[in-house]
Amino acid sequence: PCPRQVRSYYVDWRMLRDVKRRRMAYEYADERLRINAIRKNSILPKELQEVADKEIAALPQDSCPVRIRNRCVLTSRPRGVKRRWRLSRIVFRHFADHAQMSGVQRAMW
Amino acid sequence: TSSVLSKDKDKSAASKDGTPEGTAKRQKDGAETPKQQLLDIIGSMKVEVSYRKKLQQLKASENKQEGLGSKGSVPQGITEDIQRGKPLNPELVKAASAVASSLPRNKKQTESELLAQLRRHEETTDKQKKGEAINIRSVKVISEMTVKRQSPAQRGARISGRISLHFDEDGRRIRPERSAQSVDFRSLKVGKRLNIFTKTSTEPEHALKTVSSPTIWDLEFAKEIAAVTAQPPRNGFEEMIQWTKEGILWEFPIDNEVGMEDDAEFHEHIFLEKHLEGFPKGGPIHHFMELVICGLSKNPYLSVKQKVEHIEWFQKYFEDKKELLQEI
Repeated sequence: PCPRQVRSYYVDWRMLRDVKRRRMAYEYADERLRINAIRKNSILPKELQEVADKEIAALPQDSCPVRIRNRCVLTSRPRGVKRRWRLSRIVFRHFADHAQMSGVQRAMW
Repeated sequence: TSSVLSKDKDKSAASKDGTPEGTAKRQKDGAETPKQQLLDIIGSMKVEVSYRKKLQQLKASENKQEGLGSKGSVPQGITEDIQRGKPLNPELVKAASAVASSLPRNKKQTESELLAQLRRHEETTDKQKKGEAINIRSVKVISEMTVKRQSPAQRGARISGRISLHFDEDGRRIRPERSAQSVDFRSLKVGKRLNIFTKTSTEPEHALKTVSSPTIWDLEFAKEIAAVTAQPPRNGFEEMIQWTKEGILWEFPIDNEVGMEDDAEFHEHIFLEKHLEGFPKGGPIHHFMELVICGLSKNPYLSVKQKVEHIEWFQKYFEDKKELLQEI
């Protein structure tokens, strides 16, 4: 008996893939940073930079942070997600109206 | 039993100096009517307490106060011995006289009393026919056992001594020093071992037991107990406590450095040039690495380990690319 919904799975497969991408990006973050430091450089010779380009392209595709999409945490909605709450606008409205969002109030001025 | 009774009765030995003197004299005469016998017994009971205390002091004084007026009073003691007609141990006599001289009141009386007690002690030891060593040992044992009993006697003397201090015009505090000394001469480790208890070596057994004990069954049992005793939280506070223990809730006031144990000093963060030794000097790589180090030194978010790893990665990378670099 729990007052909230119990979620033991990810909402859908897209959310799962997004989770995998985030984990991989975390793993390869340091390497990407360093190789990029070599690439975006005016001191080192260009040949070295080209080699670095090839290297970074050879890394797994899911390791780049650009592929991460900030989905809604509860519904996996890719659009209309507020970053602060990680929720889609519909879920946010639902909770705010039920007074389950702390410090959130209907605007009236 | 008589000695026990005497211990219970008496607290201060100094006040009893008058009576033992009389009893000693009576014993010298040897004429004992029943009344006198009774009086003697009572007197002897009273004296035994003081005797024991003095024996202790004696034994301590033998160690500590060697030259304290013993030489002056030795001839006195010897003459008294000759008067009494029984030979006593000269060392004991010396010690008795030293003790008597150290005590505050009635030095002669205390000395004579001490010597009388010594004589009686010798008589009793001869009667028992056990041999001196054992007797001394038993006396020592008893004297050591009666340490606690003597302290009230000593305390009485001390307090009376302190009262007399107030009247001291010089203001010299000799009395409390001596009383402090008289307290000190019993220590726990001094003295002969009695061998009453055999030394049992239980420590290695305990050590073995604790090492081999955490079996799976014990762990299961412990888990069961924890599960049974862990009642659900009755209120919000208990819930918060539980969450904090599990790690779900942070501890307040919030510590920004939880989990971050950076023991390194500031100079290890900033002066990173010593890690630059593996790189070829002169040339673009060196220039590049200097920039890297400059950036790292300004970085407050990384630990020293992480920074060192960063530099080492670059080192490895450039070593791998050495052939390529030499072509250039």
